[in-house]
Amino acid sequence: METIHKSGRKPTPVPIRAGAGLKPQHYQSVIEDQPDIGWFEIHPENYMGRGGPPLRYLEKIRQDYPISLHSVGTSLGSHLPLDRQHLQQLKHLVDRFEPGLVSEHLSWSHGYEWYTHDLMPLVYTEESLQVMVEHIDQVQDHLQRQILIENPSSYLQFKASEMPEQVFYVEAAKRSGAGLLVDVNNVFVSCTNHGWNIEDYLSEIPISLIGEIHLSGHSVQQVEGRTLRIDDHGSPVCSEVWSLYQQFISQFGLAPTLIEWDSNIPEFPQLLEEVSAAQSLMDGVAETEVRNVVTG
Amino acid sequence: MSLLAELQKSFCDALRTAEAPDGALLAMVQDDDLALQRFQVYRNNFIVLNGDALADMFPVVKRLVGEKAFRMLATAYVRQHPPRDRTLLLYGDLFADFLQAIPELSELPYLSDVARLEFAWTAAYHAADAHPLQPDQLQNLSEEAFAGLQLRLHPSLQLLASDFPVHRIWSVNQSDDQDELISLDEGACRLIVVRPDNEVQVRVVTPGEFEFVERLLASATIGEAFEATSQTDPQFDLGRFFSRHLFDGTFCAM
Repeated sequence: METIHKSGRKPTPVPIRAGAGLKPQHYQSVIEDQPDIGWFEIHPENYMGRGGPPLRYLEKIRQDYPISLHSVGTSLGSHLPLDRQHLQQLKHLVDRFEPGLVSEHLSWSHGYEWYTHDLMPLVYTEESLQVMVEHIDQVQDHLQRQILIENPSSYLQFKASEMPEQVFYVEAAKRSGAGLLVDVNNVFVSCTNHGWNIEDYLSEIPISLIGEIHLSGHSVQQVEGRTLRIDDHGSPVCSEVWSLYQQFISQFGLAPTLIEWDSNIPEFPQLLEEVSAAQSLMDGVAETEVRNVVTG
Repeated sequence: MSLLAELQKSFCDALRTAEAPDGALLAMVQDDDLALQRFQVYRNNFIVLNGDALADMFPVVKRLVGEKAFRMLATAYVRQHPPRDRTLLLYGDLFADFLQAIPELSELPYLSDVARLEFAWTAAYHAADAHPLQPDQLQNLSEEAFAGLQLRLHPSLQLLASDFPVHRIWSVNQSDDQDELISLDEGACRLIVVRPDNEVQVRVVTPGEFEFVERLLASATIGEAFEATSQTDPQFDLGRFFSRHLFDGTFCAM
């Protein structure tokens, strides 16, 4: 196999195929089996150690696959300033691994002098929007590239919100020049948790801004006789979310699609099956599109 | 204070406490009779996600106290010491001290040292990489020049001294299917944790070896460290130590 030297390596675009979140449990399988997966996504915060095996594994895997950096620690929606050191580390990883995509969340995790590490809900006001846009600008300036912003899964709404989530989400991207990472599971979870109309939510999303799609599992809890859906990335994608995904790509077209697990990590073959399922739906839509062009 | 700042601060306060959230915070949440339960999802996620990071970091401590007790300890720790870093790679740096201060755990006096060992393992795992010292870097040195050298230890290297046989406790509890009994009479141990390349090594060393490395870490020359160590441990065998470790990645290139 041709050795790819760091100096000669270009950022490899993430292909319009199904990809998977890269987990330490699967490093060996990926390196040894070289599975037919379009790309891998990582949380850069897991590679911010000074050295050690994770960076070595990633270096090896990056030689064979395009990757995407999906950050969880920037806290774009925080009233506090961004952390320059964290931004430097992110830039260092972007320079070293040359990802095809970089993304963050419509959320915050830094509200005090400590970090929640879980993604917390925003109040959708003009003030918050300005903070988001300013922080996205800073990240894009620092990284010298566009980033994608992911819609959150949410469990509560603030009375003080001045606009629907989807309006805030799309506006933040438009004003900052960011793209959208649409998490179809999160759309489903938030809409069902709040009784929002999914069609209304999706109707705000401009096709031209979509850069990536996420799919994952969630858990279902009964609370006081009502259902709350909790986005835990710890189970297979459910049938409703698969249907919504199929509808979404039929309506909006294809984008790189990630199968995302963060807890109860499955064996690698099970992850591969879900990636194949997403790929089949993508192939189905691609075929329909070709047929439409031919017969159209 | 802006609405965003005010909301994020009171949200953080409420995430961290075990008490019911402040009425003012809940009053800001759209109420469908589930405001509290909706907030609890975030609090629960916060506790579980950071608690999971501790469970990954301290699997042997978890095995020794049991899953349920570990969760209670982790929850208390997350509340007392919420994460101060943007990454969770080294979350739990105060967990050993935290465990040591809990009176109910005094029946497991070795527990905090096991936690120290587990933390040292992960710290070594993520530490900076370095090239090992090579024989040619020491070629043609007179005995005097060699004694005057300040060796650089690998950046991952850490020392751990315990009054308990924590290395045996730690080794035996690496998997769930071992059930060996370890007597605390086996006594103290001294350990060097280091990751010369890809694998973290936990080495049991003699008191002399331990002291020698401790002195090198404090910037002593080989000669100074050897002289001081020989006085406390006349058995210390420098030749034997160097023959095994001088070029195995314990020391890095100068």
